[in-house]
Amino acid sequence: MEPAGQSALSQALDQLWARFLPQIEERVSILESAAAAISANQLLTEQREAASASAHKLAGVLGTFGLARGTDLARQLEITYSREGVPGSCAHIAEITAELRAIVASRN
Amino acid sequence: MSHSILIVDDEDDIREVAALSLESIADWKVYVASSGAEGLSLAIQHRPDAIVLDVMMPVMDGPATFRELQKNPATASIPVLLLTAKVQSSDQRRFADLGVKAILFKPFDPLTLADQISSALGWD
Repeated sequence: MEPAGQSALSQALDQLWARFLPQIEERVSILESAAAAISANQLLTEQREAASASAHKLAGVLGTFGLARGTDLARQLEITYSREGVPGSCAHIAEITAELRAIVASRN
Repeated sequence: MSHSILIVDDEDDIREVAALSLESIADWKVYVASSGAEGLSLAIQHRPDAIVLDVMMPVMDGPATFRELQKNPATASIPVLLLTAKVQSSDQRRFADLGVKAILFKPFDPLTLADQISSALGWD
């Protein structure tokens, strides 16, 4: 692909990112709520399932917008939340979730 | 050579990035559907050269949609590629056993998605 074509695609991807950012941020918010619930030992089954679904969607899309690390982190959270019961190591989950938020915020 | 392709995915961000990528890089005609049912309808209506089908969709998921496509003589011969964010080998084997042409993984690179599809379908 010619550099001009790549540049046009890159610009178009930036526009799509801006358009879909609210929905991506909403998915991160769901993960933040789940992480907070784990810290308070109050994670509900529906909350865990919502967190698993959000992490799955983020894992699928972030790398497409060039955020490969975001996909890695979301995949870790998807695995964590897809297991039945309360996930362990709430500090680690909070750290991963915070890094995910920072990665999403860093792409402008 | 230009091709037509149908993308079926309930996630609008993925659908739009894939469509943008295939239209702008490969200059293919792209149809999009947000559900398995809509995908079946568009497949019958447009008879695309290939279908990219998301695995995890509500109501009718990718494998169920693929089976419906196979049942219909109007769509049975259209090659299907599954698109998934699942990376476990057990999932991959299960999807491959369905009889689809290939499995594509999310996240995909918008710069190379058309090449991946072309390569899987022998369109090179």
